[in-house]
Amino acid sequence: MNALSVAFKDLLLLLKDRGQILLLFLVPIGFIMAFSAAFSASEALEEQVITVPVVNLDPGGEMSALLLHNLNDDRGLQTQDYDQARVEADLKDETIKLALTIPANFSADVQDGTQTTLRLIYGPAASSSEVQAVQLVVDGVAADLSLETQLVDGLSQMGAMMADAPPDVQVFTAERIKGQAESQFERAKETPLVALSAKWPDQITMNREDFSPSTFSVAGFAVMFAFLTAQATATSIFGEKKEGTFRRLLAAPLGKWELLVGKMLPNFFVAILQMVIIFAASMVLLPLIGMDAPTLGHSPLGLILIAILVALCSTSLGILLAALCRTESQVGGVSSVVLWVAGMVGGAFIPAFVLGDFLNTIGKAVPHYWALQAYNDLTIRGLGVADILPELGILAGFVAVFFVIGLLRFKFD
Amino acid sequence: MSEPILVAQDLKKSFGDFQAVKGVSLEVARGEVFGLLGPNGAGKTTTISMLIGLLEPTGGQIAVDGLDLKTHTNEVKAKMGFVPQEMALYMTLSARQNLMFFGRIYGLKGKELRQRVDEVLEMIGLTERADDVVEKYSGGMKRRVNIGAGLLHKPEILFLDEPTVGVDPQSRNAIFESVEALNRAGMSVIYTTHYMEEAQRLCHRVAIVDEGKLIALDTPTALIRSLGGGVVMLGVAEGAPDDLTERIAQIPAVKSASRSDGQLKIETQRLQEGLMGALEITNQLDVRITSLEILEPNLESVFLNLTGKKLRQ
Repeated sequence: MNALSVAFKDLLLLLKDRGQILLLFLVPIGFIMAFSAAFSASEALEEQVITVPVVNLDPGGEMSALLLHNLNDDRGLQTQDYDQARVEADLKDETIKLALTIPANFSADVQDGTQTTLRLIYGPAASSSEVQAVQLVVDGVAADLSLETQLVDGLSQMGAMMADAPPDVQVFTAERIKGQAESQFERAKETPLVALSAKWPDQITMNREDFSPSTFSVAGFAVMFAFLTAQATATSIFGEKKEGTFRRLLAAPLGKWELLVGKMLPNFFVAILQMVIIFAASMVLLPLIGMDAPTLGHSPLGLILIAILVALCSTSLGILLAALCRTESQVGGVSSVVLWVAGMVGGAFIPAFVLGDFLNTIGKAVPHYWALQAYNDLTIRGLGVADILPELGILAGFVAVFFVIGLLRFKFD
Repeated sequence: MSEPILVAQDLKKSFGDFQAVKGVSLEVARGEVFGLLGPNGAGKTTTISMLIGLLEPTGGQIAVDGLDLKTHTNEVKAKMGFVPQEMALYMTLSARQNLMFFGRIYGLKGKELRQRVDEVLEMIGLTERADDVVEKYSGGMKRRVNIGAGLLHKPEILFLDEPTVGVDPQSRNAIFESVEALNRAGMSVIYTTHYMEEAQRLCHRVAIVDEGKLIALDTPTALIRSLGGGVVMLGVAEGAPDDLTERIAQIPAVKSASRSDGQLKIETQRLQEGLMGALEITNQLDVRITSLEILEPNLESVFLNLTGKKLRQ
């Protein structure tokens, strides 16, 4: 009961501190807007379509038509028929940057299983990234095409061999096998076993939902700012010690546990409220300025559990900071460095996988990383509560470690 | 003395190698204003901190109303009120919000809490400005709220830790009157200060603390009377005869005389007579006087007499 009185008083003090409210609730939303906009801009750049002039010397061929169809199939390339006579001159005077040539017997060679070569020529205007991007796409499409042709041919031959069998055992005719193989191959392309994405690595895109870039920034800043409330808890404890109210409370019939719980409850409550407001405001405000709302996945329970553990972790971190720092200004300095750096390496500003192997490994030492992994599992990969139990367990471990060390080192007098 | 409300026996407190309190024993009677007098750093605040349960003693025992502080901590704390030296208030809350909060912490609630807050606001004369935030108050008003917060639960014993530090004379008088009124209403008060005139005015008994030890404990009158007519501190130049101290001690109006480091300390029965006699002897012996200080009989001179130090050093 006394703990609730202490918590109520701290919330009352918070309500009277407009600067603190601004920092807790409005600043994160500002950050999210700015970072989501930046992400959207980079996404737009990445999705620019590269026009590839194509000299098709196999104009009526089935395989060349399939190749062109596949190249234009949402892979970031757009082919453009080009006259062979103009290619060299246009490359030289930089009218075009590169050109792809499909050889005359392309379809026949592919169908016969004879090796054939597509030619990608580039001029001085082409950047290495453009050449590399086109090369990767053409390689991929060509490999699929040759694999599909070889497999379908092989299976057709197996079907042909079945033709001599008695009619009652001819369950798989050559035509049925070929049809089945082709349809299987199409399905495999739609949902490949191993996919290559130019934007996000496999660990993120596995089973990915349709998500917007704001999902990263909203979750990142929600976690980041929830952890920043730890500083408010530590500062509040030092403030009470400095003003003498802490001594006054300790002289009252109030257990030390009650006092600490009373100091922790507002942090917990504010961190939860902050995450709810950040997500709600992002859902409403981001679409208003032309950006996508963050995706929330299909597991509200999972989101609630993450929010509770993040709030508990931040709260116990506040006690740890109050226990380890010796002065109020030390709290300010240490918290700023620790919390912002932890947020950065934990992937709150930039998704962890973009940070590279070294920072990604370091990030695993901070709770932000695991909270964001759990969020991403739910919102981007579309997983459920059972799948994020390891991350939740690690977060609970952080809570226990922070709290126990904080209590052991806490100085009441 | 009536039945004690507070008994402290052989209290000790060490911080590492430093022994801040070295075996203090005292008893405070019900309805008594008990002064704890000593210079800064004497161990007063450490002693008070142990008495109110803020610091655990390294040794010794504390009982309030017959209950051991260590085993009945919350029961004992509920009987005590504490007014710290600092303005221990939430400055961005109003006086009423502060009092409501501290009342709740002491277990008051509902109608009783609101009623008690109104009573205390009236007692400290802030009813009309009860809903203003404390940071807008004058220093004296803040000090009154600070005291009020310690009175909400009607404690049996009130600890006032240097309540007049940094207070203007008008507010200081108001605090004295409050303490006297509370005491008339039957409340026991432990009052720490390094202002001897406060202890002299308010306290029934005074304990003088120095270097973690209790060096004197009695009523202010008895302590002052122990000084007799006053003390004369006489600085004498080098070369004064060895029998100077002995000859001065034989003056009928002089209680005792001692000499160290060129300083002659003369405790008198009757100040004027003793001083005149001492000056006559130094004149006869042709002793050059380098300084002369007369200590009127009060608690300040009692302290100086006991420790050789001034209270406000």
